Amino acid sequence: MGETGETLVNLNINGRSITAPTSLSVIQALWHSGYPRVKSIGCLQGVCGSCRVMVRHADSHEVKTGLACQLLVEEGMQVSFLVFPNPTHHAYDLTDIKSSWEVQARFHQIFPEADHCRHCGGCDVSCPKGIEVERGVELAAKGRFSEAGDLFVECVMCDLCMTACPEYISPNHVGLFSRRVSAYFHIRPSNLINRLEKLRKGELQVEI
Amino acid sequence: MPQCIPYSEALAAYAPCEFRQPAADQVSTDELLRDFHPDHIAGSMSPLRIGPNAGDTCHTELVRLLQSDARIDEADLAGAETLETDVLVIGGGGAGCAAALTAAKRGARVMLTTKLRLGDSNTVMAEGGIQASVEKGDTPQMHFEDTTKGGHHHVDRPLAAQMVMDGPKVIRWLIQQGMQFDVDKYGDLLTRRAGGTSAPRVVHFRDYTGLEMMRVLREAVANSNIEVLDYSPTVELLSNEDDHCAGAVISSLKNCSYMLVKAKAVILATGGIGRMHLNGFPTSNHFGATGDGLVLAYRLGAKLRDLDSFQYHPSGLAFPQHLAGTLITEGVRSAGAYLLNAHGERFVDELQPRDHVAAAIIRECRQGRGIRVSDDSVGVWLDTPGLELRTPGILETRFPKLLQLGRKAQVDLKLKPILIYPTLHYQNGGVVIDVHGRSTVPGLYCIGEVTGGIHGRNRLMGNSLLEIISFGRRAGRHAAEYAHDRAHTRGSIEHVSDLRRTLTLAGLSMAHEGPLLFPTYAKFESDSDYDGLHRSKRE
Repeated sequence: MGETGETLVNLNINGRSITAPTSLSVIQALWHSGYPRVKSIGCLQGVCGSCRVMVRHADSHEVKTGLACQLLVEEGMQVSFLVFPNPTHHAYDLTDIKSSWEVQARFHQIFPEADHCRHCGGCDVSCPKGIEVERGVELAAKGRFSEAGDLFVECVMCDLCMTACPEYISPNHVGLFSRRVSAYFHIRPSNLINRLEKLRKGELQVEI
Repeated sequence: MPQCIPYSEALAAYAPCEFRQPAADQVSTDELLRDFHPDHIAGSMSPLRIGPNAGDTCHTELVRLLQSDARIDEADLAGAETLETDVLVIGGGGAGCAAALTAAKRGARVMLTTKLRLGDSNTVMAEGGIQASVEKGDTPQMHFEDTTKGGHHHVDRPLAAQMVMDGPKVIRWLIQQGMQFDVDKYGDLLTRRAGGTSAPRVVHFRDYTGLEMMRVLREAVANSNIEVLDYSPTVELLSNEDDHCAGAVISSLKNCSYMLVKAKAVILATGGIGRMHLNGFPTSNHFGATGDGLVLAYRLGAKLRDLDSFQYHPSGLAFPQHLAGTLITEGVRSAGAYLLNAHGERFVDELQPRDHVAAAIIRECRQGRGIRVSDDSVGVWLDTPGLELRTPGILETRFPKLLQLGRKAQVDLKLKPILIYPTLHYQNGGVVIDVHGRSTVPGLYCIGEVTGGIHGRNRLMGNSLLEIISFGRRAGRHAAEYAHDRAHTRGSIEHVSDLRRTLTLAGLSMAHEGPLLFPTYAKFESDSDYDGLHRSKRE
């Protein structure tokens, strides 16, 4: 038991043995033990994707992936921080896609590997947000971008699926492309457009 | 603090119910803030003794930062690699990305340097949404009035006016970058109210507005010709013989060396200071929010304002400990969730501005009507079950991220309320700027949370996401033009020698180095991986 009556556990983070109360996340446990750590820490709320780790729980041989700010410490846990992969080689500019009729053709030029999915499930297993990544890629490859994009609502761009993919598909970037083209070509709110027109005509001003 | 009601006792007494009497809150905002807001804690402030704001008072820890010694000497720059660009953007959050994209679009060569990774910022965590007057019953004028009133009439009015006029254009620009917003079945933008707004005006993407914005802007920058230097904290700005800003000194966490970046214009977009944990408060802020931009700009002679004013967000999670400080979106209060004390009473109008609500929560806890888990954790209830009862299904459809947070805290928010307490959230003040984002130092632009004036002494929800894009684009545009007409000048850190003379003459200690770069508990200063960047290790 710790000072405040909490249960203490022993675990290993990046090769260092650490003892910490069970109420802490992996990153808080590092701070608690006084180990320095500057890189791979971000929002501490599970939305920036910086603190990618591999983790093995005491009762299992399986190595899983996760986000260290969201992972509570456990007895016998082994954690290892993962560096970020190089940026994806898929490059595109939305303004180069001249109309929504072209999106599907352009998608396959930009992401030629998206057709090569082996259905190994690596992306699904690696995703800390439980996204149906593989299905998203399949939908995008079929040109169903709106559906594909909706699957990636919670994606934090941690790139773990990119690391896991043997075909270099960059599934999270496929998901983001799907979301971006849907907004770029299809979000046309009449209330916004109406207001922009009024502003353009100078009908609305602010009296300071 | 008197003993609050123990958690188990308060929870046993709680039952969700459809109607609760509104608070009989008679006290004036001024009185409430004076007695309970953390900005007014006795003995926490001191006067600044050097620099353009000498004589102003602010939090003692901030005074120490602004009067700190530089991290580098001339000697550190001998043999340092020198890079050149037209526009240098410092900071990789929403403001920095918007500025960089806009400047690049205008034909400028742009370099963006960021302490951690591109997108590691407070932007990514913003949940509530972004304000823009798009509804029929709303006008930019009403948006302006709400902003000035929320800021206690202490705002820079031309800046606020410019921001509200930009609102609808900002939303269009974001859609053009590929950002999604929640729309109704006809495709119109959905809007909601926020504390201090007189009309529904906050547009949003679920409670992931900031995440959606940041991943889109990050992707846009990554797919442009902007050169991005990540893991590269800026440790000093460069000045030329006319005292203009002429670039920056960047440190690299990858190879522990310094680089000089010569730039014709510099845009500072470094964000806020939550990770300084003023007054010992938890924070909702990103790991990198250590006020670096404030001290960099101040040393170069930039005027600051409202440095004594911070926003404590009313609804930080108070318990469990591993999530303490995590933000719960204000959107849930605008949707109609009540705040309740240990006796199940509403004690404040939940849609008052943030400073008012935060002070009221602190009052309840100080006067013994809070709920107590341990010496470190007290708070009040956020009554999500009551909201679910009045509007069945709302948590599932509108607040998926909140429900997920509840699961992590092992609370089913549809059945049980959750404990909240104010968390250090936003730096209201900062560098004085004009409508183009220009600071008082020529060549130095500042945008986003590092600036002051737009929000006065209290910011409304949804106005910061608007500000970062509105002023990010303004500064990007102006800086690109400014750079176009100029040649590079010789930049140096001569101002650091001046700083040291001034510190010595004022009898001030040089024991502290700034910018901080990282929170103390990250132990950067003792991390042997970065010995090359520590002065104490080099001497």
